[in-house]
Amino acid sequence: MSISLAIDTSTSRTIVGIIEDGQVIFEEFHEGATDHGRALSELVAKALKTCAPVTGVVVGMGPGPFTGLRVGISFAHAFSLARAIPVVGICSLDAIAVEQSNYTVAVDARRKEIYWARYENGARVDGPHVSKPDQVDGFIFGVYPDMKKMVALAETQNVTEPMYLRRPDAVPTAERR
Amino acid sequence: MQPIVLGIETSCDETAIGIVRGRTLLANVIASSVDEHARFGGVVPEIASRAHLEAMLPAIERAVAESQISLRDIDAVAVTAGPGLVGALLVGVASASGLAQGLGRPLYGVNHLAAHISVDYLTHDQPTRPTIALLVSGGHSSLLQVNDITGSITKLGATMDDAAGEAFDKIARILQLGFPGGPAIDRDAIDGSASAIDFPRGLTTSNDWATRPYDFSFSGLKTAVARYLESTPEYVRADVAASFQEAVVDVLLLKSLAACKATGIDSLVIAGGVAANSRLRAVATERCAKAGIELRIPRPGLCTDNGAMVAALGSLMLSAGKPATRGAFDADSSLPVEQVSL
Repeated sequence: MSISLAIDTSTSRTIVGIIEDGQVIFEEFHEGATDHGRALSELVAKALKTCAPVTGVVVGMGPGPFTGLRVGISFAHAFSLARAIPVVGICSLDAIAVEQSNYTVAVDARRKEIYWARYENGARVDGPHVSKPDQVDGFIFGVYPDMKKMVALAETQNVTEPMYLRRPDAVPTAERR
Repeated sequence: MQPIVLGIETSCDETAIGIVRGRTLLANVIASSVDEHARFGGVVPEIASRAHLEAMLPAIERAVAESQISLRDIDAVAVTAGPGLVGALLVGVASASGLAQGLGRPLYGVNHLAAHISVDYLTHDQPTRPTIALLVSGGHSSLLQVNDITGSITKLGATMDDAAGEAFDKIARILQLGFPGGPAIDRDAIDGSASAIDFPRGLTTSNDWATRPYDFSFSGLKTAVARYLESTPEYVRADVAASFQEAVVDVLLLKSLAACKATGIDSLVIAGGVAANSRLRAVATERCAKAGIELRIPRPGLCTDNGAMVAALGSLMLSAGKPATRGAFDADSSLPVEQVSL
């Protein structure tokens, strides 16, 4: 039997799910772009009460705003270490459930930009990228990762590095004027 | 058997894990991203946060291995909840929450500054007692009255501008000694004369002693050094380093000893990264001996940011019967020193 704890903090939502053998036992989210830390801990505590001990963790590796994104990944890594169970990272955009086979999804990247990826026959063919919205055609926006899809994706992918897509803003001293 | 506490510290650029059993240090693992910040002349928060995430699990695993325990043996987890860089703190708090929830153990969210002072208790067996604490680092310079390390700390004074360590960094940059500035100036000053140049001691006029006896100011000193260098093209770098260092050390100790005298507390703990400075240690030893004050300065490895200090404070709280942090909590980048824990 497989019981997965699914976590995504790549958007303004903190989303937590429990998926038992493909069935959604628990799925809840908290809206708030700066609330990930507090919300995640509370939602996981609630989620764990709905099931037997979890056998694995699946976590969204972004792309997403950095600070919130790291909350989910840090928590997932430490939790799986403590339980001695595997953790699998997936691309959060891939986990957005869309009822089409060819589509482009986008989420808010702040600074008037979006993180986006394009899919054909359900498979990612372009991205993830970060761009100005007017540079991307016909994207679906206002959508969020689906915990069931996230766990299903963990069968076939394992993203080990956070998908930041942007370098830190910093200028070496020697280049300053 | 004494309880085992794992402490996580990520308030700045050190990803640090400490493990203690009671007041015995079992492991103190520090992964620093300082080299990545050097070319920027200071800590870049986003770089630090990314490095924390990368370093966290290996650091925990190494600390557990060095302690010769298993993760399941841990009785409580403690984490720096603030003050510090918020993005950096959040990696530590989220990791600590995941670890505590995964293990089903209590979590203590503690104050970084109080933790710096509490590390002293890992170095001796005496019971906790009131002390004056001088906390000096790159981000903080405070003079504190510690009545009870697990719950009652009063701020007597703090810097009004730069932190002492920050002043070291800035002067090191002007002298082209590199980053971080503390160790660089300490090394360079060895060959210099501490009395070569009479740099100003901030906030030590009679009016200052009457109105803000325990506050510090280092911006005037910084300006004085810059002016001296401009007006003295043939300056001797080691003399400048030594005289600058002397001015900082002198004023830190003048005010610390004055606080001991005014409060009647004959115990002084010096903590924080600047406490690793060899001149501060030497002059403090000398002056405290003369004044009959018991001085304690943790060894240099425990002065700079580390996880052992967080574990130490968690352990002291646990033994004092203080409750763990109730429910979920966030990092607080400006957590006041009076708030020892959440």
